[in-house]
Amino acid sequence: MRAILESIGKAVNDGLAWAGGMTVMFVQAVLSGMRRPLGIYDIFYQIVALGIRSIPLATLMGIFVGMALTWQFGEALMGFGAKNAVGSAAALALVRELVPTIMALTVGAKIATGMTAELGSMKVSEQIDAIASLGADPVKKLIWPRLAAATVALPLLCVYGNVLALGGGALIADTVFDVPAGYFYETYVDELYPMDYISGLVKATTFGMLTGIIGCYQGFQTKFGTEAVGISTTNTVVATSVTIIIMDFVLTMIFLPVG
Amino acid sequence: MTAVFELRNLFKAFGANVIYEDMNLEVEQGETFTIIGGSGMGKSVCLKLMIGLLPYEKGHILFKGQEVGDMNREQLRELRRHVSMVFQGGALFDSMNVFENVTYALREHTKMSDQEMLERAKECLDMVGLGYDPDIMYRFPAGLSGGMRKRAALARSIAIKPEVILYDEPTTGLDPANSKRIGEMIKKLQRELHVTSIVVTHDMPIAFGCSDRVAMLWDKKFPFIGSAEEIEHSEVPEVREFVQGIFREDKDD
Repeated sequence: MRAILESIGKAVNDGLAWAGGMTVMFVQAVLSGMRRPLGIYDIFYQIVALGIRSIPLATLMGIFVGMALTWQFGEALMGFGAKNAVGSAAALALVRELVPTIMALTVGAKIATGMTAELGSMKVSEQIDAIASLGADPVKKLIWPRLAAATVALPLLCVYGNVLALGGGALIADTVFDVPAGYFYETYVDELYPMDYISGLVKATTFGMLTGIIGCYQGFQTKFGTEAVGISTTNTVVATSVTIIIMDFVLTMIFLPVG
Repeated sequence: MTAVFELRNLFKAFGANVIYEDMNLEVEQGETFTIIGGSGMGKSVCLKLMIGLLPYEKGHILFKGQEVGDMNREQLRELRRHVSMVFQGGALFDSMNVFENVTYALREHTKMSDQEMLERAKECLDMVGLGYDPDIMYRFPAGLSGGMRKRAALARSIAIKPEVILYDEPTTGLDPANSKRIGEMIKKLQRELHVTSIVVTHDMPIAFGCSDRVAMLWDKKFPFIGSAEEIEHSEVPEVREFVQGIFREDKDD
């Protein structure tokens, strides 16, 4: 019993230390980002590196999540003779929930693990110490541009994913359920209010920020040796996925009464 | 002679692992001071403490009389303008070519034009024996040999014209010829730039060939400090065994 309590206590302690360390790093990054020079070039470089290079994955996720969900809703609605409502049914689930969450779990996790692997390798090879020893601030140089870029890139990819999910849904509605694509589009758009778009974008922005800070924090926490980079990267996947799912629930609770 | 670095009654630990306890050390201006000692005892930690990359729990580290542990961001930045470090593996930035690596500190600390930085990079690369070769200048670290990487790292550390250079095992992983070349370079930089050099090494020819003074880390302190000759020919059993590489079975017990 004592051993179980101790292990629970240790897990809670480790979790709090992790969350605390990440919060401190987040604050440091934001404060360093406000100092001049603003590092706009570095941020744009990271947006290209993280965002543009994620477009192929975002394309696949957007189209297929739209197609799969429309197919599921179409099947269910056909049983009630209401297949024409498939656009309305799919709209809310995709825009509010599925596109931002699936994007964060796939594209976001890819971005975060990429950051951890890169920064972890830099830590192991003492490049982060070298930056500091040359008089630069590693938080400003390495974390701030990545954090800012992930926070900007994920909502943009989410908007892009929403358009593709709509396209994928229209394709399935038209070809599988004989619901014309134009009609699907109209019912889809009619169902949505500005708050639905806002809630999706707030989620995507929050997820972007989380993936950015988790990826950087795990990279900076990497211990010694190449094996440590692998361990950090694996931990990042787990931490990113769990944090996104929990944060998704919290944001849904906040937005549902509003919507 | 005035002291550049003074370490007094220093205590440093990583969790339960105590690295330094009541440690004292003084490095004088213009000398080449070498630190030797067993692996994992904390020689590199000493360099990182001096440049403020690691915090210390108790004691004092003074750079020209100023406490390193009390320095704010700007003061640390200023310290690192005067003290530069050559890391064990070179620690060149993978995403930058040799020119960008060498001029990194110049971009951080000065308002030099691109042309001035190019001239300075050429000068530094020439000084470390890489010469001005555009092919090397614009090559990425992955395309350099181990020896070239170390020399490029050395060029990066001297670009800002520091007063003190900290060398963390500068010859590790190099063949004897390249090790000798790095040793010659340390002497040359001291001769030409009048820098203070603090070298951490396991390489005895480097330790005794380049140094004015040598300190041996033992039992969390530096109990053995002397001229290179004194340490090389020391009759103190711990020093003699380490310098001559004598292996004693009961050492690991």
